[in-house]
Amino acid sequence: MANEVVDQGRRRFLTTTTAVVGGVGVVAAAVPFIKSWEPSARAKAAGAPVTQSLKKIEPGQQLIVAWRSLPVFIVNRSPAQLAALPKQDPRLVDPKSDGASAQQQPKYAQNDTRSIKPEWLVMIGICTHLGCVPDYVAEMKPEPFDPNWQGGYYCPCHHSRYDMAGRVYQGVPAPKNMEIPPYHFVDDTTVQIGVDPQGAA
Amino acid sequence: MANVFSTIGDWVTERAPGLMPVYRKHMTEYYAPKNFNLWYYFGSLALLVLVNQIVTGIFLTMNYDPSATGAFDSVQYIMRDVEWGWLIRYMHSTGASLFFVVVYLHMFRGVMYGSYKQPRELVWLLGMLIFLVLMAEAFMGYVLPWGNMSFWGAKVIVSLFGTIPVIGKDLVEWIMGDFLPADATLNRFFALHVIALPLVLLLLVVLHLAALHEVGSNNPDGVDVKHGPKGNRWDALKPADGIPFHPYYTVKDLVGVGLFLAIAAFIIFFQPTLGGWFLEHDNSIAANNLVTPAQIKPVWYFTPFYAIVRMIPSALGTAVWGVLGMFGSIALLFALPWIDVGKVKSIRYRGTGYKAALTLFVLAFLGLAMIGTDMTDELFPKLFGQDIDITAWDNNFGRVLVLIYFGFFVFLWLYTHLGWEKTKPVPERVTTHD
Amino acid sequence: MIKRYIPSFALALGLLLGTTAAMAEGPELASAGNNLRDTASLQRGAHLFFNYCVGCHSLKYMRYQRIADDLGLTEDDVMNNFNFTGGKIGDPVISHMPPEDAQKFFGKAPPDLSLEVSAKGADWVNAYLNSFYLDPKSQIGWNNLVLPNAAMPFPLWELQGEQVPVMAAAKPGDDPQVASLKLLHPGRLTPEQYQQTTRDLTNFLEYVSEPAALQRRHYGIWVVLFLLAFTFLAYLLKKEYWKDVH
Repeated sequence: MANEVVDQGRRRFLTTTTAVVGGVGVVAAAVPFIKSWEPSARAKAAGAPVTQSLKKIEPGQQLIVAWRSLPVFIVNRSPAQLAALPKQDPRLVDPKSDGASAQQQPKYAQNDTRSIKPEWLVMIGICTHLGCVPDYVAEMKPEPFDPNWQGGYYCPCHHSRYDMAGRVYQGVPAPKNMEIPPYHFVDDTTVQIGVDPQGAA
Repeated sequence: MANVFSTIGDWVTERAPGLMPVYRKHMTEYYAPKNFNLWYYFGSLALLVLVNQIVTGIFLTMNYDPSATGAFDSVQYIMRDVEWGWLIRYMHSTGASLFFVVVYLHMFRGVMYGSYKQPRELVWLLGMLIFLVLMAEAFMGYVLPWGNMSFWGAKVIVSLFGTIPVIGKDLVEWIMGDFLPADATLNRFFALHVIALPLVLLLLVVLHLAALHEVGSNNPDGVDVKHGPKGNRWDALKPADGIPFHPYYTVKDLVGVGLFLAIAAFIIFFQPTLGGWFLEHDNSIAANNLVTPAQIKPVWYFTPFYAIVRMIPSALGTAVWGVLGMFGSIALLFALPWIDVGKVKSIRYRGTGYKAALTLFVLAFLGLAMIGTDMTDELFPKLFGQDIDITAWDNNFGRVLVLIYFGFFVFLWLYTHLGWEKTKPVPERVTTHD
Repeated sequence: MIKRYIPSFALALGLLLGTTAAMAEGPELASAGNNLRDTASLQRGAHLFFNYCVGCHSLKYMRYQRIADDLGLTEDDVMNNFNFTGGKIGDPVISHMPPEDAQKFFGKAPPDLSLEVSAKGADWVNAYLNSFYLDPKSQIGWNNLVLPNAAMPFPLWELQGEQVPVMAAAKPGDDPQVASLKLLHPGRLTPEQYQQTTRDLTNFLEYVSEPAALQRRHYGIWVVLFLLAFTFLAYLLKKEYWKDVH
């Protein structure tokens, strides 16, 4: 057994260095495992833009298509529904979509109807509260959840309500307006979801 | 920082006063002989590979599809579409082979230094159980990619049980849940591979280590440090030739871990199939129940046992003898502590007969592996001319090796029970070389 | 102490590598000599595949997008030159021949080639592409030395030309065996150019069988060097602690 005095400084230095280098190695080794949870090439391919014809959607009707596995609501809003939109403003959290909901739509859809063309609403049908899919309640008549109902969306999970532009009403759990995806019109009767209009980034 | 740790430590100790003593018993106050050599790295390396298999395995299950129609595609999905999926899979497939490399070396160390002998018989038995479960685990994992080798490997291995008289045929159908390896087979193998057997394996590993720490580690001299003089620089009552496992063997094992990982990384990143040894070419073809691969043989780590099955001919109208031979070859390893009753543990001080027998045993094991991998089909014509009957050569050579394999145990029994062994004097204390 | 083990380690490693090399491929095939790091060769191979092979063979595990990313091609390149089926950039490469038709024309469906090199080896694929010969006994007029009675007609014949077999002297009673092949009518390419062509095509197929190969070689060297550096540090640490023991 050696009686020489242990060089504690060197020992501590080597321990720290080895621990740090080993720690870096462990962290680096964790990166591939963490990255393996990112959307795979297949998921990305499935998330490619979706093209949808609008020919068969009557005024007041809604069609749901899947884009990146998300439900996208495409609604042909009737003149009555459009006319009701401005009247809702006092009851909404962010009627102009420039407050809490400023990031919930592309710039080209940041307007009174939250759309490129007033009648066509293209919106990701996910409640901004906890991610349920709200029901489309089109008829303008008193509902148990709202005696002044002017048509819109009602979330079955926690009773959040939105108007016909996906704008959230005051006094419900959801904080923001529903999200508008990037989309553009290929021609008058065809919409492509997932791609911005030319010139708009 | 150090303060935070000690505060947390105190908080835990107050509520669970039993934890620190357990840690000390197994790490800082576990006194291991100070003369461990290179052979003693493989135990901790086996543990490391086990952790690797569990972590990478969990991530593979996240994208693997255990169905006959989806399994093969999902492996390619992991290899191509999942970010870094190829790395996770190669870590798992390379880990499987390296698991057997370190376990075989670990077992050989045990045999060579008599680590199975009194008082460590229980450690040995638990270790052999680990080996057995590991073989089942590896076999089922091999089936999961559902390539053509997976399929036919599953068929052949399961058919081993078909050689059992009377119940064999029903047993095979019961194991497969179908008349060929199929969806049902794949599903149950998947469940066993990812849940049942890993749990058993972990439990056995804990018991293996617990049993070891009760009796203490053996060493290359086979001298029990517990029976030697007492008193070292850490504790006046502990063995003079013992050193605390932590930090001395933890830092030493760290060197082994680093080197081992470097070798593993080289294989994973540059030679993931290792020329068809770790991942076989024929398994790049999807399972096909109509076409058997040209060369059907198990992965390298099963080949010695597979060769034993091949070398023992059928007799009395049944092929059960080969299967019995294979299971017997493993059963005899279980019984080693009672077959070899020589008092001297380490090969360093054992008789010449033992050294010669062990050498022959290892050569027979390697030779059987060569036959099992069909390496001899290429080797024999090169050595003995193109016109020889390869099957006859294989059979004759292989049967001699099978005799040597089993002869080792017979010889060892006679050698030690009848007192033929002339041992060298065993030193009082461990010897060190550095 | 470690020094004592170096010779046996070297021996074990040598044995392992030696047997691996010996077992890797069958002995009789010439080396394909392709190189995955040669991006130009991979690009040429891709063009060859999409000109001559994709009519019948799919690469069902390979996406157009991945080919564009890995081979340094633009999406437009790939969509205009390679994609004849109207699939999307994220779709896998599927041949436009319906499998039922293929079954009818060739007696068996042409195999998917995604994993051909993984299964058979680059040398085999390269040799196969060099071993077609005219065979009047075959229904399709062609035969292949490496895969006798192959169901596939030779799609590259206008490049290589037409080869005919040279028969070996047979023992009485045995069928005559093909000893070698001779170029009867040269094609558009010289034999050297044709060899380069098959090498490029083989290279592309090797890439397709494991696209990750490009990545793993890229990262591998750094991982191994890092681990060796860590081992060295751990060794110093061990030496330091073990001063207590001796």
